[in-house]
Amino acid sequence: MPGLVGFYTFGEGRENWDASHFIHYGLSALQGRGQESVSLAVIGPGNALHTLGGKGGVEDFFEKNGTGIPKGFIGIGQTSSYVDDHLVHVKAPYELVLALDGKTDLHENRGEASKLFARQFSQLLHSEKEPLKATSMLINKIGGGYSFVALTHKQELISGRNPLGVKPLETGSVGFDIAVVASETCALDVMGIDHTGPVETGEVIMFTPEDIRGNAPAADAGNFCSYEYVYLARLDSKVNTLPVATVRNNIGRELAKAHPAKADVVIGVPETALPVANGYSQEAGLPQELGFVRTGENIRAALEPTQKERLVGVQLKLNPVKSAIEGKDVVLVDDSVVRGNTLHNTVLNLKRNGAHQVHVRIGSPTLISPCPYGVEIPPRDELVSSSLNEKELANNVGADSISFMTVDELQHAIGLPRQNLCMRCFENGGATR
Amino acid sequence: MRVMGVGGGAREHALAWKLSLSDHKPEIFWIAENRNPGIYKICKDNQGELRTGRTTDPKTIVRSARGWGVDMVVVGPEEPGFHGIPDALEKEGIHCIGASQELSIIERSKADLRRLQWENNLPGRLLFRTFKYAREASDFIRKNIDTQPWLQNIVIKPARQSGGKGVKLIEDRLAYLHDDKERFKEAYFDSLQESMAAYSDIEDKILVEEKAWGPEYSLQCFTDGKTVLGTPLVQDNKSAHEFDSGPETGGMGSISGPDMILPFVTREEYDKSLKIVEGIVEAIQKKTGRSYHGMVGGQMMLTENEGPTIIEMYSRLGDPEALNMLAMLKTDIIDVFQAIVERRLSKLKLEFTNEDAVVVKVVAPNGYPEKKDKAKGHPVQVFETNIKRNGCYLFWGNADLQENGEVVTGGSRLLALMAMDHTLPPASARIEKTVSSIQLTDGWGLYHRTDIGSEQLLAKRHDSAERVRRLYKYREEQGTLGRRMEWVPKVGKVDPSQLLLKEMRGPEKA
Ligand SMILES: Nc1ncnc2c1ncn2[C@@H]1O[C@H](COP(=O)(O)OP(=O)(O)OP(=O)(O)O)[C@@H](O)[C@H]1O
Ligand SMILES: [Mg+2]
Repeated sequence: MPGLVGFYTFGEGRENWDASHFIHYGLSALQGRGQESVSLAVIGPGNALHTLGGKGGVEDFFEKNGTGIPKGFIGIGQTSSYVDDHLVHVKAPYELVLALDGKTDLHENRGEASKLFARQFSQLLHSEKEPLKATSMLINKIGGGYSFVALTHKQELISGRNPLGVKPLETGSVGFDIAVVASETCALDVMGIDHTGPVETGEVIMFTPEDIRGNAPAADAGNFCSYEYVYLARLDSKVNTLPVATVRNNIGRELAKAHPAKADVVIGVPETALPVANGYSQEAGLPQELGFVRTGENIRAALEPTQKERLVGVQLKLNPVKSAIEGKDVVLVDDSVVRGNTLHNTVLNLKRNGAHQVHVRIGSPTLISPCPYGVEIPPRDELVSSSLNEKELANNVGADSISFMTVDELQHAIGLPRQNLCMRCFENGGATR
Repeated sequence: MRVMGVGGGAREHALAWKLSLSDHKPEIFWIAENRNPGIYKICKDNQGELRTGRTTDPKTIVRSARGWGVDMVVVGPEEPGFHGIPDALEKEGIHCIGASQELSIIERSKADLRRLQWENNLPGRLLFRTFKYAREASDFIRKNIDTQPWLQNIVIKPARQSGGKGVKLIEDRLAYLHDDKERFKEAYFDSLQESMAAYSDIEDKILVEEKAWGPEYSLQCFTDGKTVLGTPLVQDNKSAHEFDSGPETGGMGSISGPDMILPFVTREEYDKSLKIVEGIVEAIQKKTGRSYHGMVGGQMMLTENEGPTIIEMYSRLGDPEALNMLAMLKTDIIDVFQAIVERRLSKLKLEFTNEDAVVVKVVAPNGYPEKKDKAKGHPVQVFETNIKRNGCYLFWGNADLQENGEVVTGGSRLLALMAMDHTLPPASARIEKTVSSIQLTDGWGLYHRTDIGSEQLLAKRHDSAERVRRLYKYREEQGTLGRRMEWVPKVGKVDPSQLLLKEMRGPEKA
């Protein structure tokens, strides 16, 4: 799952801005969405499109490429959780570079589906006179769940969110000179840009040397990804105008109400589950302790690509604070369970270090179906909850009890109507793959 | 009686409209650089005529005024004032509503305005410096940015009001983007130095001032030099696109009402703002020895250091803010002008509707403001019955009526649509329903801001007002309002206001 940034400038002196430098910091903020590959495209003097891509995290990419980073005054960039996931560059009939979060339904394979989308996009921009109309037609025609930013050879930056609106996209601006779109508002903050609002579902916002244009958004509110609130988005972001931090606190409170446990302390699994544990502690009236200290980089375990790396990641990451757990009954709060390894390790770790009972409470329903829109939730046979029930899972990870939120409880905690939330990964028959 | 107007924008169309509604039934004559279709029609319907000519040329204006034998002239835009049109008319014994050349310095020179505020210890001011050369400006910032942290977040402006040169708002809060911001600033200093070299009527070329944040509003006033009468607050929107994004424009639309204040400004802030404008009128009259009669306005912002603060002064009505004010004005406009001419404003009962809120939205051709040449010359079609049916008013701006009756775009703001209602959002919605009544027949696009007057934008304004108000109120309670004090490691207490005042006084003798 990629994080996207688009950077646009106006007015006199616009050629003095260094788009790549701003995009660098925007992407840094979005690394939670993926840090396996980075790529960017800019337009500088002479109007040529320059692109560059590479493996690894954002900092690495910019450091390694140093002066080889293309310079320009407008541009787009993406950081992705897929290895070798790069911008799609279509040269003809209408040159454009595309960064897409999510998945179109043009092909089984996400990468291929994005390529086909980019080609059709280029065709339509070429055949239709009005690029805004062309883009609007395109996103209404091509299904799936996706958001995108694209840069054309005519210095147009086109951003959009398909009518389903699964994937987030936000806009911002500063002064009279700069406008930005990004997957999450935290990227705007880090770039020093004021948030102006979301790109609405079915909306296209297009920046050109002449103006900013937009079409009328879809009348339907959309079907927002609930996993953004559970795990994907950064705590300091707003997603679909809801602050993620508030939602995670609500999730914790809802969890405490519906799934109480007899214990002495509440401990969250860093990082994502800490605010959930906080909500649980506030609602349950139990103290929250900081139970783990992390060593090394923040590796987001759920999205780690291979099992071996993941085990290493988890053990390196979490060293228990023994005095916080010794001799205590613990409520261990986590955001979600994918394969169950993280949980297994963590529970064992707590018990080996002197915790008595460990009651696991999960701030989301059981993950049982892969995501049809490209979030790398593994295939069904790798999802522990699709094979084991709560009791079996508790035994498997060595916990005294384990319970998940229900779909209704999660919906209630987020506070959006059920029909406006995508919960396909928590439901049977979501997607096959 | 015969009245003549000067200027061809939406503001002047609104002035002509208001004159045509007067019980004095004036004959209406006009001079503008373009054949504004709205003004053209009003003149024709009121026994007058619209003539095109250079509105900044005193000879042209005086000749026409004399030729037509007018009793009074109303000057709309600022440039005629800068060029001494009112002075030339008055020398001929023709009454003029408009600030004379010397007085209009409060708008012409943003640097002189700031000096006036600091010399007279007037509230509502911002820290500033002026420079003649780009190098001076960048050196000053580099040298002082650590001891005077206000230099991190600045606004760069041409020190003289100059067509085309915009302001740059630059916040330099993030260490990792410092070099980017510095490079941009320095390039803009260079560009300003170059383009300002053409203006010989002013010493300073570059103005750097403290960047404030908070909601903006305009307070337009009538004055006869002795009395300053405030009118309802109006908020203009400067950015070209939705939710304050995109390039700076002359103003994309404005809101006012339903009373004298805006929903996010307090009565107390109104009174303070009026005091601030009065103070400036008094100070500039004292400095020049001239009497100010005409319109004056403060383009204001609520700021954390000062509360109500002057961003710039108007020596005229705002465009589009004039439309809101004139729509709300209940008193006969000729009575207002006569009271100004006869210096008896203190006796005038100036009345405004308190029932209606007013929303104005500017419609501009694509290309404005960055590519005006592309925005120019497109034929316009208007479905007037539709506009009337929705209860909206149309005021022509930068449009030109051709000999064949066709109207074409001039490249700048084409026209403004206005609607009134009990509150702002329904008025805004009415305009949204109406804008499609205006089209360019050659297929070129038009745009406007849908968000002006909407609940969403009002909520955003309200939020920003509340946040900045908490800050300045805190200062008020602590007795530090208007003061700027820093503590700098190894240096100690630094008062940037004192440093500014010291520099303004010039090198002192030991
Ligand atoms: N000191 C400041 N702090 C924050 N914003 C500012 C400051 N000065 C100017 N601005 C912003 O820039 C806009 C334009 O500034 P200003 O009015 O001084 O310039 P201008 O070119 O004369 O504009 P216009 O004549 O169109 O009103 C203001 O409306 C305000 O939004
Ligand atoms: Mg201004």
